[in-house]
Amino acid sequence: MVYVKNWEDFEIAAENMYMANPQNCRYTMKYVHSKGHILLKMTDNVKCVQYKAENMPDLKKIEKITSNLVGHMASKE
Amino acid sequence: MVLLDNSNFILLLEKIANEAKKDASFTITFKRYDGNDKPVPRAGRKPLPKPKTNMCLMRAKCKSKKISTVVSQENVPTMMAMYSQFMKSKMDGLKRVKKVKSKAKATKA
Repeated sequence: MVYVKNWEDFEIAAENMYMANPQNCRYTMKYVHSKGHILLKMTDNVKCVQYKAENMPDLKKIEKITSNLVGHMASKE
Repeated sequence: MVLLDNSNFILLLEKIANEAKKDASFTITFKRYDGNDKPVPRAGRKPLPKPKTNMCLMRAKCKSKKISTVVSQENVPTMMAMYSQFMKSKMDGLKRVKKVKSKAKATKA
């Protein structure tokens, strides 16, 4: 699966995917220090969106989307 | 898989991140967890009990080491604060982008 190039596209696609099927979705981040990147992945076992973050400002955005998603996961609905 | 409480999970995660810095990587996974540890029964059998609350299951993996924790709704803010602190301190290998001063600011100064 190819990486989404644009952060906004990834953010929207990931949130939509989660909202469509919260029970089966998982969100993964992989950090490789030697290569200096974070790989983000959201999948529902059918489709998958990925994003590769290589710059420092991306970290803030990742923080935001992660806390958003965790909030959704632990909510009652 | 070792199930830890939230603060111990972060502590161990920091250790794992330090170990992985040299030549390895680590993965963190988030997914919804409703307390049911059994698979969904086949059609015609008794369905699983309805979950009372939803929680978030966090797993971390580095090489063969695996740890996990469950975050409940009331612990989300504290856990996310700890987690963002962890991200800032340990995920520091990304490229720094130099801020380009805007012309207006530069001329003012």
